Amino acid sequence: MTRIPREESYRYSGLETRVVWFSGAVTLAIALLMLQLWRLQVLQGAEYARVSENNRISQKRLQADRGMILDRNGNLLADNRASSDIVFIPGECPEPQREKVCQLLGSLLNVSTESLINRMHALRGQPFTQITVKSDIAKADRVRVEELGAQLPGVMIVAHPQRRYHYGETAGQILGYLGEINRAELESRQSEGYYPGDWIGKDGLERYYESELRGQDGFMLVTRYAAGQPQLLTDKLGRPYIAARDTLGHLLNLEAPPVPPQPGKTLHLTLDIALQRYCEELLGSRSGAIVVLDADTGEVLAMASRPGYDPAVFVTRGRNEERMALLSGQRPNPMTHRAFREIYPPGSVFKVLMAAAALETGVITERTSFFCPGRFTLKQGGRAWRCWKRSGHGATNVIDALAYSCDVFFYNVGLQLDIDQISKYGHLAGYGARTGIDLPGEAEGVLPDREWKARVNAGLAPSERRWYPGDTINLSIGQGSMATTPLQNAVMMACMINGGYRIRPHLWRDAPQEKSEKIFSDATLRVVIEGLKKCVEDGPPAPSGTGYAAYIPGMTVVGKTGSAQIMGLEHHEQYKSEEDIPEHMRDHAWFVAGVIDRAPRLAICILVEYGHHGSSAAAPLAKNIIDFFYNHRAEPSETADLLAEGD
Amino acid sequence: MAGTGSLQVQYQDITVRLINPKRLKYLDWALLLAVAALACVGWVVLYSASKSSSLEYFQRQIFYFAAGLGLALFLACLDQRFLVSLAPVGYVLLIIALLGVLFFGSEAKGSERWLSLGFIRFQPSEFAKLGMVYFLAWYLNKLGPRIQKWYWFLFTFVLAGIPMVLILKQPNLGTAACLGPITVGMLFVAGCRVRHLLALALIGLAGLGFLAWEMAGFDPNVEQEPRTFFDLKHYQKKRIYAFLHPEADPQGSGWHTLQSVVTVGSGRLTGKGWMQGTQTRLNYLPEYHTDFIFSLLAEEFGFVGAVITLALYLAFLQLGLRVARDSVDMSGALLAAGVVAMLGFHIFTNIGITLGLLPVTGLPLPFLSYGGSFYMTTMAGVGVLLGVSAWSRLARATMAVALTGIVARPGNGKP
Repeated sequence: MTRIPREESYRYSGLETRVVWFSGAVTLAIALLMLQLWRLQVLQGAEYARVSENNRISQKRLQADRGMILDRNGNLLADNRASSDIVFIPGECPEPQREKVCQLLGSLLNVSTESLINRMHALRGQPFTQITVKSDIAKADRVRVEELGAQLPGVMIVAHPQRRYHYGETAGQILGYLGEINRAELESRQSEGYYPGDWIGKDGLERYYESELRGQDGFMLVTRYAAGQPQLLTDKLGRPYIAARDTLGHLLNLEAPPVPPQPGKTLHLTLDIALQRYCEELLGSRSGAIVVLDADTGEVLAMASRPGYDPAVFVTRGRNEERMALLSGQRPNPMTHRAFREIYPPGSVFKVLMAAAALETGVITERTSFFCPGRFTLKQGGRAWRCWKRSGHGATNVIDALAYSCDVFFYNVGLQLDIDQISKYGHLAGYGARTGIDLPGEAEGVLPDREWKARVNAGLAPSERRWYPGDTINLSIGQGSMATTPLQNAVMMACMINGGYRIRPHLWRDAPQEKSEKIFSDATLRVVIEGLKKCVEDGPPAPSGTGYAAYIPGMTVVGKTGSAQIMGLEHHEQYKSEEDIPEHMRDHAWFVAGVIDRAPRLAICILVEYGHHGSSAAAPLAKNIIDFFYNHRAEPSETADLLAEGD
Repeated sequence: MAGTGSLQVQYQDITVRLINPKRLKYLDWALLLAVAALACVGWVVLYSASKSSSLEYFQRQIFYFAAGLGLALFLACLDQRFLVSLAPVGYVLLIIALLGVLFFGSEAKGSERWLSLGFIRFQPSEFAKLGMVYFLAWYLNKLGPRIQKWYWFLFTFVLAGIPMVLILKQPNLGTAACLGPITVGMLFVAGCRVRHLLALALIGLAGLGFLAWEMAGFDPNVEQEPRTFFDLKHYQKKRIYAFLHPEADPQGSGWHTLQSVVTVGSGRLTGKGWMQGTQTRLNYLPEYHTDFIFSLLAEEFGFVGAVITLALYLAFLQLGLRVARDSVDMSGALLAAGVVAMLGFHIFTNIGITLGLLPVTGLPLPFLSYGGSFYMTTMAGVGVLLGVSAWSRLARATMAVALTGIVARPGNGKP
């Protein structure tokens, strides 16, 4: 260490060395910075340039119009109307005029001026944010604002599409409705380009064909600032475009030509909306369902269910109370389509399948007959079953058994067929499984067999799990644990009249048609059809067929009635007359029908809840439907009127 | 000795003219050129930064430079030894002002830095830097060789520590931290023992250890009691945390670091072009007029532009150190070393922050960052350098004339 002289005006001799060290340290520090610059800008520059580029560009979505839904005759069932909002963008209006514009808007549109001014002040930092003055405005409001346009700088009309259902409750449950996407849907559909706040099909066809109806969103690439959101406006035709300034007032540049949205696919249905409406009107205030299928293709011509709902309730603002009421699970539930979501014991309707299976397997022939004394006793155990006709049908063959719905005949058939064969043909005809209709939430129904009983009674005593001949007897007339949807019965009926094929019912015209292998031979079907024809055509004098109410002269209508028992026959006998039985304990009335000598061949299934007897409550409806479909159906022309009405 | 009418003071045994414009003849033109070049770089970059907001920044900055140049030339004419002799008084006034800020200061962005004296608002901490340079020059000059004793060495830190703690309390971490390198740099040049400095470095490392303990398990969402004597505010800890984990919260505290690095990196070799910087123009990088202006430079002019600028800074600092080396007296050398330490610390720390090497602290960049107070401080520092060099050259010239009758080439070093 150098000695330092005491004279203060002299520098000590080591100073120069120290300064050199100092200068070395400074050089080192700057060199370190240069090194880091090299690393960031040259070595990793490309990567950071990419990050910066991503920073720079914002993709703004232009939502696609949802596809329309048309019925088989081209009637418009669902489309989109332009719902317009009046918005105020303070940044587009000179500062001193802003409050005056708010006052004018308040008086013009009958909204609170005060709240408008408050909202404007709350957004002072983001003057280019759109303030919604009035949503979903009427035509009159629009005209008023457009007339005074010159006095209302910064006031715009922004349109966005809103779903419109043209037929109200008619086919409402089939069309379904839209709702805001929820968290679960968002998570499962994120890869498909859904965002929070999007609308998505929640039920019915809107849900099932969501991907077809939705279309392909377009987008615009604009400059993105760190803060400030690009905003959408719409032109006179309702097409969205990006506003020139974002919420903070930055001018936005288009970074690439916009990619326009592709509207969703138009869905042509097999539904005949006039027939659908007629069916719904036939049911009226009664709960029930009507299915009308084209027996050869599986096209659903009508599928009515009462009570129903108007899907507009779900897509229109301010109908929350109605919405809540619909979703509250009231009974009867209007949200449940009874044709494919509700299951009922098929009752005597199942005898059609029993007859066909027995003939097909050769257990009986056309000439086989059993004697019906009005009751039936199992040899072992001695338990007795009744025929609905207590006096009995006497000696009965399969044709009469179908025509007069003899229970005892089918008890015998059932025991001879045995459960395994019944189960086999039941499944072949579509029972106990979804029909595969293009609607969400279809019920499977129950076709009991040995395995099924063992499964549902698992854990109980072995005696509870075993299949007994008594179970087969119950099943033979469609009672016991058996449960079907009306749609399944319609599919079974279609199989009987279309030559023995199970078809897949469908609502979308372009849905793939599916047809099973031939299940029943023509010989079998000829006998079954004979019985079903006699059921409808055998008029008075007594005994007349149980389906006589569906008889139409000059047309070959086949049918089978049924009553789905809510409780045993013994209980019925507590009441003096049928009218005394309380409503909720009455049987459900069934009628399945087919028209075999007209094109298209129709397969029909009618269910009237608590309707008592298929012959009186359901069969007359079939007659009306068939008559309407072939003889009186006029091409509906309401659509044109509706379109003219729309704004 | 001096003409009548000029201000004269008796300084120890000599009489000097307090203000002597003749000194301007001995200006260090190389240093001034470096300053002018850096100022030009500053205008070019600030013009680009102002274009997307308000050109007022640019216009004011030109005014600040002009005023700063006047201040620098004025300081260059002043007798630095006289100013040094006033430093003890300045030190006391500084402490009083800093206390005043603590008790009567007005807040700005969560830190009390401004003192309002009715007509003027000023930041005493800004004066503290240059004030401490003068005071330490006085102190170390007075001390002479005694600085090699460990207790005098330590006492230097007591003297420097008082304003440092007061500034830290404001809180103004950046300025307080600036006093450290000034003190160490001046001690080193003053000839303290190197082993004392090494011991200090060890203590510093230990302090870093304590800081690590303070930060261990820090959760930015939970305000916790300080564990050590470091009275770090929650936001300061958050900045350190964000520096260490920029990816943890890219939208929050880590935003600055992350976006600054992206901004610099995206400039690549030759930059996006003047006024073409997207990161800054689209507001991804906040405070690009002030603390992050170097990012803008690096973005628009790329590696080439940034390195040229760094080279200019290096030249400026080396020229400052040449002033220290060539100073005829100890106080001049100390003053020059102190100014270089101060500005060098600002340059290194600020750019280190923009390059993601250091945690974010509000430290402006000399000549480039917008802001009047700091520009004045910078130019005052330049004035000190010019003053010291002018005095030394003048002294050599007159000494040389007196001794040999030949005017020595000014600035040519050794006596």
